[in-house]
Amino acid sequence: MDNNLKNNWRIGVLLLPGLVILGVFTFYPIIKMIVMSFFDWKIGYKQTSSFVGLRNYIDVFSDPIAKTALVNTLYYAVITVPGQIVLGLFVAVLINGIKKFSVTFRLFYYLPVITSWVVVALLFRYIFSNQGLLNYMLTDILKCTDEPIGWLSHRWTALTATTILGIWKGIGWNMVVFLAALQAVPIEYYDAASMDGCGAVKQFFYITLPNIKGSILFALVMLFIGAFNTYTPIMVITGGNPAHQTEVVLTWMYYQTFSAVGKMGYASALSVIVAIIVAIISVVLFKFIKPDNEI
Amino acid sequence: MDKNSLQKSLIIRYIILALGVLFMIIPMIYMITSSLRPNSMTFSYPPQIFPKLSQLTLENYRYVLLRQNFFQYMSNTLIVAALSVLFSALAASMLGYCISRFKFWGRDFLYTVIITIMLIPGLAMLVPEFELAVTLKLVNNLWGVILFYTAWSIPFSTFLIKGYIDGIPKELDEATYMDGGTVFTIFFRIIIPMASPSIAAVSIFNFLFPFEELGWSQTILKIDSMRTLPVAITQFFQAHNRTDWGYVFAMTCLSMVPVVIIYLFLQRYFISGLSSGAIKG
Repeated sequence: MDNNLKNNWRIGVLLLPGLVILGVFTFYPIIKMIVMSFFDWKIGYKQTSSFVGLRNYIDVFSDPIAKTALVNTLYYAVITVPGQIVLGLFVAVLINGIKKFSVTFRLFYYLPVITSWVVVALLFRYIFSNQGLLNYMLTDILKCTDEPIGWLSHRWTALTATTILGIWKGIGWNMVVFLAALQAVPIEYYDAASMDGCGAVKQFFYITLPNIKGSILFALVMLFIGAFNTYTPIMVITGGNPAHQTEVVLTWMYYQTFSAVGKMGYASALSVIVAIIVAIISVVLFKFIKPDNEI
Repeated sequence: MDKNSLQKSLIIRYIILALGVLFMIIPMIYMITSSLRPNSMTFSYPPQIFPKLSQLTLENYRYVLLRQNFFQYMSNTLIVAALSVLFSALAASMLGYCISRFKFWGRDFLYTVIITIMLIPGLAMLVPEFELAVTLKLVNNLWGVILFYTAWSIPFSTFLIKGYIDGIPKELDEATYMDGGTVFTIFFRIIIPMASPSIAAVSIFNFLFPFEELGWSQTILKIDSMRTLPVAITQFFQAHNRTDWGYVFAMTCLSMVPVVIIYLFLQRYFISGLSSGAIKG
């Protein structure tokens, strides 16, 4: 088109700011990170970095704490992602069926989503502390245990505390995503099913679920990326302790970068591995759930 | 279903939802009441969700507001939020417009790259980013946070805004060309106003980000006067031997004030922005 040709330079002008910012602060660091992962990288004046080939990758794979961090991250993902989706969808279905107070409910359920991670992580650290609210409930009110549980001083209980935080904070986000999807399902489908004598449960599995598949996929991908992005809650609640047992990949990478040793090459290799894992999971999710292009 | 059982199921819905709300807000209430109790009492056993009225005090708030640089942290965070939102909204809507409307060289590749970058956590590139920040003298400088936050938020913002622009009819573009308008006219007169719901939605998300990002900000904001709220709160917590919860919670409650105000006023954009992304997938 003639018009487009005349406008070529203008299109360039519109593209430029975004491309420059992305180029300098995203594309360049990504490429640099891949390069660094093959070097024993030194930061600072007059330091030379030597090429070490795959050494950093071998170090990552043979490092028990890297393995712990990866297992912890997966544990966090495997618990929080389905947990958030199921509970978020449950709340969305409930809210979708009521008229009065639906806005009020939405407001309350969404509140943890907008609250900063630092704030809620501190709050949960306080609640899960030895003399905290949760232990009080468990020992003195519900009488489940006699001794207060040291939630934050053992690997799996500390991680579980973090996953509870992750689910609690994420329910509202999922609720909003699924509410929008539920409202887009044509009401005639349900009417027809009712006529045929389908109960509420059957309707949910045969009508609701297939029709909101696209949103479930969207939530799955976003939440998996989010789970691998976890840094603040672990940093604030356990700091990776005890003895690095609760590290997740990003906290471990951070530690490797800025600890006294400053293993930048190692940290870069770890990041590359994480990026590849996340990419693989996302692609698999897309392939797995989207065979009939129903989005 | 007959009317009676319909009513029953409605009541059950309300009961479950109300119990859920309790689960969601009890921690929040606990935080607020803890911030109103004297520090000596925050570890008193048994813990109280609702303290006695006579015990309430504003001492913690006074301490945080008068003895700490709270207003400095808050203004730093607001500056970072405002500028990164502005830059990101501009850059992302321009990118989104061009990708949606024009077939330029490398367009599909660029869009694929932008989508792929969404998969990589910004903090994963910590090492090269830190080196870059050192080279560009962005350490202990608010610009170091603003520029990186902008770059991190552009991919998702572009993705959402582009999806929205795809749905704006092209006839309006054609009419503007007929009247002798240029790409700029279309962008500023048609695209920006019509895509404003999506731009508003991503802007709100981007605005909240500086209130919660810790990893990068704590890496490059090392001077107290430069700190944003998440860094300041974390430092404050560690500096107080991890025990003065009253002070800590007063600070966290105060830090939430702008966020909650924005949430209450712009609620519908939170919802609309998310849903457009969710349905388009």
